[in-house]
Amino acid sequence: MFELDQRIAEQLTEVALSSSVQVRCGNSNAFMVTASTMVPLMQMFEMGGVYISGSRSAMEMIDAFETIGIDVSNIQFIDLVSSGVLGGTNTTRKNIHYVDSPIMLESILLRSLYLLRTTTLERNFVILDSVNALAIYNDDRMLAEYLHTFINTFRQREVLSVILNVPDQTPPLVLSNLDLYCTDLIDRGQVVIH
Amino acid sequence: MQPAAVYTRDRCITGIHGLDEILRGGIPYGSTVLASGTCGSGKTTLAMEFLVRGAIAGEACAHFTATEPSVKLLENIRQFEFFDMNMVDTGLINVFDMDVLYSWLGLEKSSFDLDDVHALIKAIVDIVNTIGVTRLVIDSVTTLCYKIKSEQLIRDFLFTLGKKLSTLGCTTILISEITSATENAHWSSFGVEEAIADGIVVMGDVERMGHLLRFLQVVKMRGTSHSRAKHAIELTPIGVMLTPMLKWGAQGDTKSRWGA
Repeated sequence: MFELDQRIAEQLTEVALSSSVQVRCGNSNAFMVTASTMVPLMQMFEMGGVYISGSRSAMEMIDAFETIGIDVSNIQFIDLVSSGVLGGTNTTRKNIHYVDSPIMLESILLRSLYLLRTTTLERNFVILDSVNALAIYNDDRMLAEYLHTFINTFRQREVLSVILNVPDQTPPLVLSNLDLYCTDLIDRGQVVIH
Repeated sequence: MQPAAVYTRDRCITGIHGLDEILRGGIPYGSTVLASGTCGSGKTTLAMEFLVRGAIAGEACAHFTATEPSVKLLENIRQFEFFDMNMVDTGLINVFDMDVLYSWLGLEKSSFDLDDVHALIKAIVDIVNTIGVTRLVIDSVTTLCYKIKSEQLIRDFLFTLGKKLSTLGCTTILISEITSATENAHWSSFGVEEAIADGIVVMGDVERMGHLLRFLQVVKMRGTSHSRAKHAIELTPIGVMLTPMLKWGAQGDTKSRWGA
């Protein structure tokens, strides 16, 4: 049976809507940490919002969530992966929105703002999965600038931003900036696989 | 001692998300603004939103279309969630085909002389006056000016039109198409439109690693301070949305596409 990390839920009780949370994970526990962050936000705090899917396609993420019994039909997914694969956008799901490429950083921000403006929920989050995926395509300085804009944009609008990050794969400039901008840190990055 | 009162001009609040902020409150009332850009950059969409937002505020709006039939234009603006066909039925949004206007005026010819230009200006001003239009779009001034062969006549046409509309309290957007054939003219096809206009809004694409990112930049706007930064835009069902373009992302400025 899939077990969620309850300590993440406990840490999330400390954050405010205008917070920006850096969630550090490792290669092997990324999905568990993601799910352990999503579930309390949705179930305990009755939040909705936007999931920016840059590591894997939105459809794959939705399937993974549904496999462990998490209903994400109220979450809007922005898929940065599938447009790069011909036929990848062929789905009837209405909660998946496509951006052509992870290099279209401003488009990702604007699409998130658009989706948040159309929601009826009062409390919302935006989850960026992940800094590492964006770092594959984007220059370090541009990515650092983007995260600065991203965090401040949502903080100003009282939307909780959650930024997933595998620290040992993140460029040092981006990592140090992320440490500076984020208000909270959930660190599950030091994972040893036996 | 009291500080001197700062005079601020009344604004035409565009209602376009982010644009009014860039313009510190909106377009100065009665201005003629050139919206200049490449094909597919969102000029018509921006202009239509300007009209629909005006109609929502109860203003009478007019759109003169020379680039596509009015029926097709109305079909395209149905994408806006805030558009209601009643705006057309009740006369808040009025769309005129330039071909029909030319036909009314007996101007079905390949080029216009001075008399023709004056007849055209009079017709547009009469329509604006009769309906009480406060927001006007001409799409596009480039197509219209192709019929005016002299640069001086184009200048006179735009200057006179702008002046007359301004005195009627009408805020106007003139859409200008930029093509690769006119890359020496930065913000207009004929090089004279930009000097006549009170404001210039440039729209185009920045190429970033093979992808085109739409941008908008307010180059000039008389009567207000404004941001001159490039802003990325998205065309959404709730209207045009803007965010400042990343500074490091605009490094490929030499690849900006003023033309195709």
